This record gives sequence, C-alpha cells and structure tokens, in this order.
Amino acid sequence: MAASAARVAVALRTNIGRPVAFVRKIPWTAASSELREHFAQFGHVRKCTVPFTGFHKGMGWIHFSSEEELHNALQQENHIIDGVKLHVQPQKPKALQGDQTSDEEKDF
Amino acid sequence: MKYFSLRCLCHWVVRIWEQCISAGAGLMYRFLPCHGPTLIPFITNCVSFCRGLLSQARLHSIAAEKKNYLQEEPTSSHRRNASQFDWALMRLDNSVRRTGRIPKTLLQKVFDNTCHSGSPGGNQALLLLRSCGSLLPELKLSERTEFAHKIWDELQKLGTVYDVSHYNALLKVYLQNDHKFSPTDFLARMEKGNIQPNRVTYQRLIAAYCNMGDIEGASTILGFMKTKDLPVTEAVFSALVTGHARSGDMENAENILTVMKEAGIEPGPDTYLALLNAYAEKGDIDHVKQTLEKVEKSDLYLMDRDLLQIILSFSKAGYPQYVPEILEKITYERRYIPDTMNLILLLVTEKLEDTALQILLACPISRESSQNDFGSFFLRHCVTMNTPAEKLKDYCKKLKEAQLHTSPLQFTLQCALVAQKLDLAKVLMKALKEEGFPIRTHYFWPLLVGHQKEKNVQGIVEVLKGMHEIGVTPDQETYVNYVFPCFDSIKSVRAVLQENGCPHDDNVFSQAELRSKAVNGNLDYILSFLESNTLPFSFSSLRGSLILGFRRSMNINLWSKITELLYKDGRYCQEPPGPTEAVGYFLYNLIDSMSDSEVQAKEERLRQYFHQLKEMNVKIPENIYRGIRNLLDSYHVPELIKDVNILVEREKTDSRKPSSSDLESKLEKLKAENQPIGDILKQLIVMLCSEENMQKALELKAKYESDMVVGGYAALINLCCRHDNAEDALNLKREFDRLDSSAVLDTGKYVRLVKVLGKHGKLQDAINILKEMKEKDVPVKDATVLSFFHILNGAALRGETETVKQLHEAIVTLGLAKPSTALSSPLVTLYLEKDDLPAALESTIDCYEKYKILPRIHDVLCKLIEKGETELIQKAMDFVSQEQGEMTMLYDLFFAFLQTGNYKEAKKIIETPGIRARPTRLQWFCDRCIANNQVETLEKLVELTQKLFECDRDQLYYSLLKLYKVNDDWQKADAVWNKMQEENIIPREKTLRLLAEILRNNNQEVPFDVPELWYEEEKDCPTSLPSPVEVNLQIMSSHFLFSFIDAFNIFLTAKKQNIVFDNETYARLINLLLMKDNSTQAMQVKDFAETHIKGFTLNDAANSLLIITQVRRDYLKDALTTLKTALDLDQIPSRLAVTRLIQACALKGDTESIHDIQKLVNGLEDSIGLSRMVFINNIALAQIKNNNIDVAIESIENMLTSENQTVDPQYFGLAYLFRKVIEGQLEPALKKISIMAERLANQFAVYKPVTDLFLQLVDSGKVNDARALLQVMTHHMWSSEAPVMKSLLELIPELIDKEEAYTCLMKSYVFDNDVTSAKALYESLTAKNVKLNDLFLKRYAVLLKNAGESVPFTEPPESFEFYAKQLKESKETHL
Repeated sequence: MAASAARVAVALRTNIGRPVAFVRKIPWTAASSELREHFAQFGHVRKCTVPFTGFHKGMGWIHFSSEEELHNALQQENHIIDGVKLHVQPQKPKALQGDQTSDEEKDF
Repeated sequence: MKYFSLRCLCHWVVRIWEQCISAGAGLMYRFLPCHGPTLIPFITNCVSFCRGLLSQARLHSIAAEKKNYLQEEPTSSHRRNASQFDWALMRLDNSVRRTGRIPKTLLQKVFDNTCHSGSPGGNQALLLLRSCGSLLPELKLSERTEFAHKIWDELQKLGTVYDVSHYNALLKVYLQNDHKFSPTDFLARMEKGNIQPNRVTYQRLIAAYCNMGDIEGASTILGFMKTKDLPVTEAVFSALVTGHARSGDMENAENILTVMKEAGIEPGPDTYLALLNAYAEKGDIDHVKQTLEKVEKSDLYLMDRDLLQIILSFSKAGYPQYVPEILEKITYERRYIPDTMNLILLLVTEKLEDTALQILLACPISRESSQNDFGSFFLRHCVTMNTPAEKLKDYCKKLKEAQLHTSPLQFTLQCALVAQKLDLAKVLMKALKEEGFPIRTHYFWPLLVGHQKEKNVQGIVEVLKGMHEIGVTPDQETYVNYVFPCFDSIKSVRAVLQENGCPHDDNVFSQAELRSKAVNGNLDYILSFLESNTLPFSFSSLRGSLILGFRRSMNINLWSKITELLYKDGRYCQEPPGPTEAVGYFLYNLIDSMSDSEVQAKEERLRQYFHQLKEMNVKIPENIYRGIRNLLDSYHVPELIKDVNILVEREKTDSRKPSSSDLESKLEKLKAENQPIGDILKQLIVMLCSEENMQKALELKAKYESDMVVGGYAALINLCCRHDNAEDALNLKREFDRLDSSAVLDTGKYVRLVKVLGKHGKLQDAINILKEMKEKDVPVKDATVLSFFHILNGAALRGETETVKQLHEAIVTLGLAKPSTALSSPLVTLYLEKDDLPAALESTIDCYEKYKILPRIHDVLCKLIEKGETELIQKAMDFVSQEQGEMTMLYDLFFAFLQTGNYKEAKKIIETPGIRARPTRLQWFCDRCIANNQVETLEKLVELTQKLFECDRDQLYYSLLKLYKVNDDWQKADAVWNKMQEENIIPREKTLRLLAEILRNNNQEVPFDVPELWYEEEKDCPTSLPSPVEVNLQIMSSHFLFSFIDAFNIFLTAKKQNIVFDNETYARLINLLLMKDNSTQAMQVKDFAETHIKGFTLNDAANSLLIITQVRRDYLKDALTTLKTALDLDQIPSRLAVTRLIQACALKGDTESIHDIQKLVNGLEDSIGLSRMVFINNIALAQIKNNNIDVAIESIENMLTSENQTVDPQYFGLAYLFRKVIEGQLEPALKKISIMAERLANQFAVYKPVTDLFLQLVDSGKVNDARALLQVMTHHMWSSEAPVMKSLLELIPELIDKEEAYTCLMKSYVFDNDVTSAKALYESLTAKNVKLNDLFLKRYAVLLKNAGESVPFTEPPESFEFYAKQLKESKETHL
C-alpha cells in the first residue's frame, strides 16, 4: 500500500514543469542525432532520447532547457525528417496540473 | 438448458460471420463491405445477450446452493471463454474488414490464446479453421493446409468436439488451398466420427473431385445427393464446368450451361466465372474475350474481384502476357482495392512477382499526396518470399518512377532488416548510398539484435564486417548495447574482432568499454581508466552511464574521487560551460534518476558524498542547486538540502546576485532613511532560508517584525519545520495569522507544521492546523495523504497513542482524507508495536465498524498465532467470517499460518472442501513474499495451492520466478520449469521470458523458444530490478509493514551466509531495533557491521535513538560515549536524546557529566534546539541532589541579577527544576528556592521564577504552599490568591504559559466557589478568543453545576485527573 502511494508520489513529480517535447512517428531511418539536429533550431536540446531495441518504436523525447524553446518548437507546424512528418506535442505531466502557486511569491 | 442456448447462439453468430467472409465459389473469398460495419455491434449484442442468459443461469444456481459458499463465480470459466471468443472474433473480423486478409501472426496468436484458455469451444475452432484458406494470401497453399491440420489436431486433443460444420469448414479450406485429398476417405472419416454429411458437404466434395478433373468421382457424389433427395444448385453446376474443363473436355464444360438451363437453373456469374477461368487456364484469350462480351451484353455483371480471378488463372497457367488485357477491364472500385492487394500478395507467394508488379502499377492510386506510399505491402512480401535483390532494386526504381512510393528503397531495407537478411540489406544500402542517402549506424542494430538474442558471435562478426564494407564505423552504443552482450568479456570481443579481421576504432572501443563497465557499477575500473586515459573525452558523453554506475556501487569514496577527477582534470570538462556546470548538472541528474525511496534510503550515503565533494572543493552553480533542492523537497528528504547547499559556488553568486550581507546592509540603509523595507526584508529572509540559516533569519524577523510580510513568514515557518523547531514554527504561524488571517500556506507547509507540532506533542495546535486546512480549502493531493500517513505512522512507532488517534480522527472527520486501509493502519500499528494484541485486534475491528476496512488484519492474525492467543484468534475469525464471509476468513487464516511457518495448519485450511482460488488475494500474498524476500513462504504457498480449484498456476509460478530473479537463483528457477511441466501447465509468454532472463543472466542455456518482447525500456536509463541488497534495504526500511523480528531474522540469516549489506541497511535495522527498545540486538548488529564494513558508522537518528535507549537502561556512561562519537562524526543528535541524557545525569547528581555535555555541544545548541535553560535547570538539580543547595541558588541568582545576562529573565524558566524538587519532596531545597523566588521578585522585579514556582505548586496540588508563597510575596493581598493571580497575569504580560495561568486562576475561583468571577473570566477570555483547555472548561462546568447553573458548552466528559495529566504530558514533551 505504501509502495503504491510512493509510486503516486513519484508520478506526481515526474515531468512537472519540465520543457519536454514528445515526438511520435519518427521514421525508422532517423535516430536521436537526427532529431537533435532538427530540434536544435528551436533551442538548446539538453537531452534527446529515442529508445531502441534494434529498431526504435517511433517515439522520442526532446528535453529543452526552457519553456520558451519548447514553445518555439511547438509553434512550428511541420517537422519533417527524412521526408516524414513528425508528430510533436508537449509532454503531458503524468498527473496533477495547475499546482498551487507558492505562497512565498505572494506579497512582494 | 440455458447454457445450451448460449452454444446455439454462438454457433449462429459464427455462421453469419462465415457468410460474410467466405467465398461462394472460386478461390477468392466473398467480401461484402456493406455488411462489415454492422457486423460487430450485431455480434456484440448477441454475445451480451448470451451473457444475460448466463447471469440468469447463475442466479438459478445461486438460489439452488444458497447455503454453500461455493457460489461465487460458478461460471467464471465459461464467462472467460465467452469473452475470449469475443476478443478473438473481434481481432480477426477487424483484420478481414480492413484488409480482406489475416496475417499469419495474428491467426497464430489467436490460436495460441485459444489453446491456453484450456478447453476451446466449438465456435472458436470453427473460427480458426475457416481462417486457414484464402484469407492467408501471404502463405503458400501447402502451408495454409498444414496450419489448418495443426489447428484441427491440436484442438481435438484439447477436447474440442467437432460437428459437421467443422468438417465443412475444413473442406472449404481444402478447396481454397488446392489441396489434393481423397473425398471418399474424408467421408469415411466423418462416418467414423459419427457425423452425417449434409448438402454443403456433398457440394464441396463434388467441387473437390472437379478440381482434380475427376468427373466420375463427382458423379458418384451427385448420386448420393439424388438418393437423399438433395437439391442440385448452381454451385454444383459451376463445379462441373471446372471439372469437365480440367478433364480436358471443354466442349462438355460449355454444355453444362445448356444442361443447367434445361434443369431450370439460369447460369449466374459464378458459372460464367468458372467457364472464364477454364478458358484462362488454357490460355485461350479469344474465348475469354468472347465470353466477357457475352456476359456484358446479358443482364449479368462481373465484378472486379471476378476479373482478378481470371488474371490469377492466366498467371498461374503461365500466360502473363494476357494480364494487361484483363486489367483494362477492371474498374478499380474502391472497395476492391483490398482484393487487388490480396491478389498481388498471392502472386508474390506463387513466385509470380512480375505479374504482381504489373497489377500494382496499374492501380489508379491518387498520386498527388505523397504522404501515402502505396506498394509497401508488396515490397515487404517480396522480401519475405526471398525475391532476388536485383529484382527488388528494380521494383523500387519503378515504384518511385510511378510516384507510387516516395522511399521504396528505405522501406525495403527496413523489411530486410526486420527479416534479418544481411545480404539483401547490404545490396539495398549500397543502392541507397549511390543515390546519395546517408547510411546510419543504427541501420545495423536490428541485424545485431537478432544475433545478440542467440549469442551468435559469427553472426555479429558478419554484420560488423558488413558495416565496414558499407563504410560505417560502429559507435559506442553499437558496442555497448549490441556487441558486448554477446561475449563473456570485453577482452574476448577485442580478440574475436582481431581474429576475424574486423577493423575497429580503438578510441570508440575504449569509450564503449568504459560505458559498459560503468553500467555494471565497476567504478574501480572507471577511475583507473579516467586517470590513465589519453583520449579526448567529454563528461557529458559519460553522464548517463556514470549515473547508472554510481547507483549500482556502494563506494562513496569512488563516487567522490571520480567526480573530483572529472571536475578538476583538464581532459574532461574544460569546454564551456565548464566543470561547475557539468558537475552540477551531473548531480542533478543523479538525484533525478533515483526514485524518492532510493534517495531516502541512500540519504546518508549522499550526505557523505556531498561532504566529500565539499572537502575536495567541488562547486556547483546556484541555479542547479535550486533544481536539486526542489527535487529533494519533492522526495521528502529536505534534510539533505543543507548538505547540497554547501557546494554552491558563492563567488559567482556574488557577481550576479546580491549576497545576504549585501541585502542586509541595503536593508539597514533603507531603514535609516526611513523608507519601506518590506520587500527587501522578505527577499533577505527567503535567501537566509534557502541558505538554511535559521538563527539569523529568526533574529532578523525579531528585529524588523513590523515590516514582515506573509511571504517571509511562510518561508520562515517552513524553515523552522525543516529544523524541527516546533516552538518557533507555531509562534510564527500565529504571527502569520495575525498579519493576515485569510492568508493560505502551501499544502506542504501545512503538512510539515502538523508533523512538527504532532511530534512535539502540540496536538491541539496540530489539529487546529488541520482544521484550518479544511476551512481554507487547501488542496489535498495524493502526496499529501501519503504525508498524513507518514505522520501517523511515525507517531504510532513512537507509541504516541493520543497523537495517532486524535490526528487520524481529525483528518478523517474533517474529510481531508478518506479512512483508507493505509491511512488507518497506524491505529493498529500503535498496539502491535506495544505487543498489546487485544487492543490491536479491537482497533482493527473498530476500523471495520467505523470505516468498513480491516487494516493490518494479517499482521494481527500472525501475532495472535505466534503468541497462541486461541481465544482472540477465534474472535477475529468470527468477526471476519460474519462481516466478509467464510472464504475471506479462510484465506486470512491460511496466509497467517503460512506467514508464521505453520505449514501443516495452512495445508488443512487450503484443503477445506469447496475452497477455490481467489486470484487477487493470492497475488497480494505473492507480492508480499516477493517484497519481503520470503522464499520459503512463497514456495510453500505455491506447493500448497497445487490442488486448489481454479488456481492460476502459471501466475503463481511467475511470482515465484520473480522472487528467484531477485535472488538470482537460477537453479531454483530451472526447477520451476520442470515442475510446471510435471503439473502440465502451459506457461504464459511473460513467464517464459522471465525464466529465460534468469537463466541467461547466469549464462545458462535456455531450453525453449523465448517469445519476443513488444517493447523494452530505453537503454539509456533502464529501470532495472533492484539488487537483492536494495530489496533487503527496502524491506527493512519500510518497517511498518514488517515486524522488527522479521528484519532481525533477515540479518541473522544473512550473517550465517556471510552476506554483508550496506551501511544504510544496518543503520536502519539498528534504528528499528532501538525503536523497539531492543538495544542488545541493536548492538549485535552494530558490532557485526563495524567488523564487516570499514568505517561503519551509525547515522544521526540511530545514534540519538541509541542514546535514548542507553539512558532508559541507565547506561549513562555508554550514552555519553555514544554522544561523543556522534559529535565527532559531525552529527547533530536529537534534542530529545541530549535532554534525556542531561536529565538522567541530573537525577544522579552528576554535575560533572552535565558540564561535559555542555562543553561537547557548545556551539551546536541551536542546531540541536537545546535551550540553555536545560543546562541551568539540570545543573541546579544535580547540585541540589548533591546537597549543594546554596551553590545552586547562588548561581541562579547570579545569572538573573548580573549585568551581562545570558538568558532574558522573561525566558528564564525554572519550572522543570521546581517540579523535580517538588516531586522529589526535597523540602529543604524547596524552602530555599521559594525564598530565592520571592527575593528575585521583590528585590529585582524578576517575576518569572516566582510565577513558575507558584504554578508548579498549584499544579502539584500544594495549594496551601502556593497561597503561602503569595501571602509572603504580596504583603497586602491576604484574602485569596485569585486577585493575586489576576494581577500576576496583568503584571507579567510576557508570561509564556498564559493558558496554564488561566487554568490555575479558574482553579482558584473554584476553590473559593466564586461563580461570579469565574463567569467574568470565562466571558473575557471567550471574548478575546483565547483557546481554553479541557481542564479549564471542566473546572468551570463543575463550578457552574455545583452552583445549580446551566453549562453553556458541552462539559468535557473525562475526569479532572485525565485532563490534568493530558496537560502535563503535553508540557513534558515541550521541555
């Protein structure tokens, strides 16, 4: 029981407020270096993961260093690598949106 | 009866489906798209209708066996079958509807699933059989029939009973697959199976004879039909057309049409198609054209599918030249595209790929939208069928030219890679390269992964050679992920590559080797490599692997050394942004990659690491520190924040942002200029909080109190909570409320306040915070509920009954959290920890009555069994069986017996007649065993449930394997494999995969085919299984689930086997044992750890607990030594531990030790939270105990009257001293102390001591002494102490414990029976919103009642003594 609660806690913190783009429909001919190269035009790519086991599954994650850069990438309508249109969307927080604003920021 | 109707319905459903998909004549199936979409809802309706019948049937059976608890799920297996059938039907139907075909893999999967389900029904068999014909265009005709036979035999073995529908289905498959067989034998087989052939059977048998050109045979069957008076249909005549044609008699074939007409049957499209096919097979294009024209002129209509059939006949008979003429006539209706595709596939299967391409190119696919490539299916199938590479290259070229496909070469390459065809792949890659496309390293990975699975070294070498041939250099990932795993050692990789003349880049290879070592936690290697390395190398390329390596190694010294090397060595992170950033980012990633429980468990290790880094002068940027801080906060380990903080690069901070001292001077300047300072004050306070400088922050707050804003308070409150400073946190919270009563804190801060207040016995305050959370509608998330649990559980482990009960009650009644089993378990834990079993059971039952949950019933039962509490067990069982049924009770008892090792009893329970499997409960227990690493218990569970009705044996064995995996015990895993065969269990895929993994990890051969994984975790950061050590650690650290006895037993077992755990594990175990007051066992663990782990030390918490335990056992010298050890390690012992030790020394009169302690903790008082008064009180007490009363008094007086006072007189609390003196009945001392207090008040206007003394006297019931004190003190107020008290309250506005004073005042009024004054006091206090305690209210209520007046509130129900004790207890914990 505590374990499941702990999992919830882990899920809660994962990816909250992190500028990550979730990319689908990556052609098999492209790997993380191609993705990195493409997304570098929108900002600094801190990390780019495309999980592989022989082939990849067409999915990858681009970690930008700021929300603004992520926004830049999302603004662009077409992302094409090797002639294939990618599907790019912001990585959704796994749970909990609209966290309370910190009280320490109030009353400036 | 009911079940029978279900069977009929399902059959009926299948038949309708059959009509929709199966062919009327010829080889192609009849595909009616208009029926497709309506089919599924229809079938679903039928199935749900069937289920309706089922549930009715169940109701009947339940009514019939009401007394029998066997009633749950009596038809579960039928229902399961029904739903599986539903699922299979859906999958196959979907496939046919979308593509007109079924991929072999899908059919195989449905077949396997059907087999695993136990006894497949007749309908499922039918479904599978009829899928084996033309719906499989990608399979050779002979393979399809083979498949059908396999299904037939397999299902028969599994007990499927065949009827005529199955035989007919098989016949159909034979016809569609051109299978040669003897129709008479077939009939004989049916007869033997006692199945009557029907019309469909005869029709199909005739077709079979005709396909072979055997007219005589066909006539025989026709004779049978006539004797049975069965009608002869168009289908029979069409067959006869084919029959005559194939016997070489075209004339008679043509004549059939006339015969038909004479018999009154008009030839339809099927008959004409038979004739057309007959001409095509002869290559007679002229007759084909003539016949087509004839049909066109008639009112008949041939569909595209029929024309495709003619094309197939031409092609198969070797006349591809006539194909274009027929293609011209095709209209390409959209709905026939799948038909066309299937023909193309079939032609490829038949090695007629050129014709297939011709048809493909003729397809009028819209070519503008380049998005949709057409022809992939063709290319893929060509690859599968081994079409020559040069041909394929040519096809790709043609498809591209025709603009059907944008990247045919890439696609074909992908297919070749999937199919592991290295040679084809090489040809295609060369072609791509010629066209100017880059060939990337990862193109070779699919090929490598295939060989890697089989550890095929030669295969790997071939691929590497191929890479070289194409001009691609393997990179690190290629080596680490795909090449190395095939070999026993990296050394042997090097050797094999050299032997085979496989060139490799040494640089890349070395880096790969390094990564591979890092992943395996071999930090020694990493360090020595990095030291001796001469290759250019960036830190970031190593990061991911290093993190894994760090997490898998216990050696903090190596962590630090490697980090230092990377930080300082010019070879590694000199390029921008430089080492500070790189190491900071590394630390962030390291912590981020860990789960919160991992960080919690490794807290001490991480702390060591940070401190070592500090010593090495490693620094990190402040912004990254902030990121780490947020992570640690979210992991519930804020205690580590201060340890990371020390690494922050301050110099840099200065240049970019003002430092705290800058801010402070700015603040002072503004203040001097009389300008507003609110903003900057807040900034400064927040900064000090982030620097963890509580003392300074509090001072600042005190200094500029009037300028404080809500935000500053919020930060300060949080800081105090973090530093376990309840007193200040509470005061700050009150000031915060006063400043703005509507202001709301973050949820986390409220929770921390509750935690700290609860921990320090400020229960009412804690409850008030909870109430405020409710009132202010503070959001409560899952994490908040988890925190509530931890608060309650912590209190339960400390044995704080009231805290647990009241906080739980408050949380639940306020509705902040639901009373879940988890949240309520501390209510039971409380008593389990105290070994008070009746109360534990009572508490569990109480929870059921209140919330319908039974927290920790299993643990309660286990303990009851251990202690042999028969009566209580009976009581528990009666309750469970009454409330949750007998079955639940039996399972509870079964698990408890298993857990406690009473296997004989467990066996008796599980063999109770009528008991059946409850998968969720069994799984619960399995998971528990896995988490606790209870191998024997789980083995026993699996063994004892062998005969359990409806038990999912595979699932149980899977759990067992999981546990063996944790322990890496391949021998036992291998034994499971045999046992499963013995028991005739068909393992699921996941079981096989797990078993294979265990065997492979231990370099054992895997004796079966391993099913492929659908998706694996990314290689960069695999979520690996925790190592056995970590598992043990988890077991021990989550002690609320397990008794300390379990944990200690694990230790003993490990000790026997000479297994050494890590530092933290021992520390936690020691903590656990100490909490249970088992200091002997704790010391045993400590000694073992010290002798087996170099430099083993206990952490702060453990040492503090040790001190408390030693004090309790009166080993004061040992406790003092422990304190010294802890302080030598720079640890901060808990306030409670130090206070207890000082108090114990005082009671022994050991002044010297107290002085020693004072020196030891000098400078740490604030960190520990130790008040100077603790020393003053206890030194005085010790002196008094030694009969040095005068010395004690003199020194106190000196402190209070001298010029340079160390403690503000108003905080100079001597209550503890006074109480101990009163309690100890040290009359001479009390007398002298009274005089001292009077003197201080009268001569020096220091009122605190006299007030304290007065209150203590009143409190201990020495009212006369109290009165005497007042009389002496205030010469003119004789009559009663009440006015004096009142004036005292007014006189001493800073009196800390007003609450108590008011209570005393009320006591005085009660004593004097002064109702009027009491009323006035009550009213004035309620008007001021002063919180009144229960003792006060109780007294007032009794006074009113005695005076015959009504009580304006609910009288507290308990006795005076109760509330007095409560008040006293709450104060005790204050000190």
